[in-house]
Amino acid sequence: MELTEQKTPQCTIIGINGRLDTTNYSILEKKLMEMIDNQNDRILVECSQMDYVSSSGLRILLMALKKITISKGKFVLCGLQENIREIFEISGFTNIFEIYGTQEEALKVF
Amino acid sequence: MAHYIHDKDPKSEALIRALENIPRCPGTCFFMDINRSTDIKYMGGLTDWGRKLNNTFNNLLYANHFQHNIVKGIGDEMMLFIPDEELVNKPSNNNYFALLEDIYASIFLIRHHPDPDLFLNCKVAIHYCTEVYNITFFEGANDYYGSDIDLTARLMTKSVENRIVLSEKFYIKVKNDLVNLELESDTGCLQWVSARFIENFKGVPTSTEFRVLDVQ
Repeated sequence: MELTEQKTPQCTIIGINGRLDTTNYSILEKKLMEMIDNQNDRILVECSQMDYVSSSGLRILLMALKKITISKGKFVLCGLQENIREIFEISGFTNIFEIYGTQEEALKVF
Repeated sequence: MAHYIHDKDPKSEALIRALENIPRCPGTCFFMDINRSTDIKYMGGLTDWGRKLNNTFNNLLYANHFQHNIVKGIGDEMMLFIPDEELVNKPSNNNYFALLEDIYASIFLIRHHPDPDLFLNCKVAIHYCTEVYNITFFEGANDYYGSDIDLTARLMTKSVENRIVLSEKFYIKVKNDLVNLELESDTGCLQWVSARFIENFKGVPTSTEFRVLDVQ
């Protein structure tokens, strides 16, 4: 998995490329938690290049959402592939995360 | 597919010869049990408990891609088995450490989901099995038998809601993975694994060592 970072006037876009699983979730965890701790808590996670996620990856996203909710920031996801969306639905994530089809749509809500 | 064991002759020599040639099938066995589902059956109707069982089973299985590893379900409990040869050939999460991390994460996701009305909390027991055979006594069924499968079920008696009980044999496998992956010994959920317990389980001739991992 590879992470990309892009700062925009509205938020920071974190791109997840590849498989998010037990071998690498700690990289995403460190990135997101550091950002939130530094009040950089308006985050858009671009998932269009993420082709696999395991429970360990989902756990980090849930932890980030909870932490950002406390800090009153904003945490949005976009571009979920069909297989990933299915996992999100099964995990009850589509009801608790703000999820948009494209980055363009997601940026409008910041 | 399991070896089908079937012979109508109770004194069959052929059956004995067949059994002698069944190979062991080492791998990881785990039981996952959904808590409080019996309670809610008395309190609510099928639409309530059926929905929550559906949601919880799906969450445990599909988010971890375990759906092909179910051996059997008995009420609110599932038995899963992942043979070593299958685990190592997975495209990712192909080691015991990853397996534990994902199971931990699953229980965590259920425990901390913001909507408490969707899922039911779970308990788990995991054991690394060497004394196990992929056999069935029922035509067309897949199953695993052996003293290590029985021991996994015994370990389940030590689990409670939001707890994973892991046998020392499985824990050693996980620790070996950490060495191979060049990770710290307290990486991920391992930082919360307890010290070792020793228990004499009914019917098991030797003491069993295990640890517990309470989901934070």
